[in-house]
Amino acid sequence: MEKEFSRNLDALSDIVEFTDRFLADRNVDESAGWSINLAIEELFTNMVRHNTGAGKPIRIGLNLEDSRLVVQLVDDDVDPFDPSSVPEVNVDEGIDDRAVGGLGLHLVKSIVDKITYEYENRQMKVTIVKNLEQ
Amino acid sequence: MFEVRESGDDHVQLIGRLDASQVQLAREAMNRVTRSCTVDFGGLEYISSAGLGVLLGTQKRLSESGGRLKLTNMNRHIREIFRMAGFDHIFEIE
Repeated sequence: MEKEFSRNLDALSDIVEFTDRFLADRNVDESAGWSINLAIEELFTNMVRHNTGAGKPIRIGLNLEDSRLVVQLVDDDVDPFDPSSVPEVNVDEGIDDRAVGGLGLHLVKSIVDKITYEYENRQMKVTIVKNLEQ
Repeated sequence: MFEVRESGDDHVQLIGRLDASQVQLAREAMNRVTRSCTVDFGGLEYISSAGLGVLLGTQKRLSESGGRLKLTNMNRHIREIFRMAGFDHIFEIE
């Protein structure tokens, strides 16, 4: 199942509705659903905020393959961005050293089982996989 | 839907979904907090890094004058997100 969303944070409520309907129709448990909603918001928000380019809509695809939930976000006609250039968050730092922001990608990496970035022909594709409990 | 209810100047209740599209509302409410304050998460279903950033910024500002936030009534998902972010070491969570 795939749908386009305008690259605007106001699209988040539509994204949640789209995702929740997909998850409910497939009886995905609430805990995994919570994680997937969070991961999608963080990745979508990063694309809206950081990807520069033509301003086209962002496509979100959802698939349940065996017991794996596979989510793909596709952003067309954008400039290259290297996610590995984002510094790792040190969660052991005290409050004085913690930066406000930069946590989104850290949370995504913590809650999904796999994350893949691809960039080709000005298209950025981020794929995340969440293994569901049997 | 996201809503902030303020009772006096030391109690704030967060309700609904605090995602990136609602963060400005949360920031405006937390900017009005000027001393130690209890933030009740009992009605909050969801929070993402955008909301965590608002809380961290508020805690940093209050710390300068010896104040702190006490966070109460988190659901298990939000509590887990705080743990993953390392915020369980930074905030007083009840």
